[in-house]
Amino acid sequence: MTEVVEQGYKVVVVDDCSVDSSKKQLQGLKLYYLRHRTNMGQGAALQTGIEFAKKKGAKYFVTFDADGQHDCRDIPVMVEVLQKNRSDIVFGSRFLPGARTNISGARSFVLNVARYVNYLVSGILLSDAYNGLRVFNAKAAGFLKITENKMAHATEIQLLVAKNKLSYSEFPNNIQYNEYTKRKGLRNIDGLKIVFEILLFKIFR
Amino acid sequence: MTLIQIILAAGIVIIAAYMYLRLRSTLFDVIMILFFLIIGIVFVMFNELTDIIAHFLGISRGADMIFYLGILFLFFLILKLYSRLRRIEQKFTELVRNKSIEEAEELSERTPSEDKKN
Repeated sequence: MTEVVEQGYKVVVVDDCSVDSSKKQLQGLKLYYLRHRTNMGQGAALQTGIEFAKKKGAKYFVTFDADGQHDCRDIPVMVEVLQKNRSDIVFGSRFLPGARTNISGARSFVLNVARYVNYLVSGILLSDAYNGLRVFNAKAAGFLKITENKMAHATEIQLLVAKNKLSYSEFPNNIQYNEYTKRKGLRNIDGLKIVFEILLFKIFR
Repeated sequence: MTLIQIILAAGIVIIAAYMYLRLRSTLFDVIMILFFLIIGIVFVMFNELTDIIAHFLGISRGADMIFYLGILFLFFLILKLYSRLRRIEQKFTELVRNKSIEEAEELSERTPSEDKKN
């Protein structure tokens, strides 16, 4: 987090009602701090951040998981790719050639299944279905209205991209799993929960 | 009259009374409650009637028919409730989101005294 701020990006942190006094830990960093009064999930937090950034008149948006698994050096490169390809959104991918990651075999397998699930739902086949690092422009931000508060939001974003015919590309990014990200992140079994959420989402949209 | 008929009839009456107390607001509600109360009591007391309908539908026993239809109805109810729950959740999310955007804070650059924490 410190690194992102030091690179001079305007950072919006959405605290989804966490109990670890996030605000104190962020004290001294130049950023916008938003706090949900109650815990609503990652998808809800993302949407809050996006809406806030839109209000602030942002031109480019980057979603960045807060647990330190991403590498902020990927951000400028991905923004460049967005401009060069004239894409509306660039998805980070830990599976494209050029990405560095210390992902486990089991997790790779789960994510591989997930990308086909997302493909079935959205019609877009990405190489990495659940990558938290995305770069997009204001046009894409205008279309992103995540209603899936919990984990199925990654699928929903893909669906919104497909539905609104946004142009997209992928770019290899680095993901480092450490003890902290493993503890904070999803377990493989959560994949099943997400599939269930997606099913409900498809029925009740 | 068998014991189960008394239990079922009593249950129907209690539910109807409860519904009446909770939503006696409109005449329509009262009529609906009365309608279902009478239908329920009739089917419990004269259960051969349900057999006739069941035969017509190709089910041998009236009780089975009620069971099948009941499952269908309950499933429908769960779906309805779930979609309502989702709508409420979305409204609630919107509220919390707007509140958090309103109350956004702009944290500032570090000051020397806070350096130790980082």
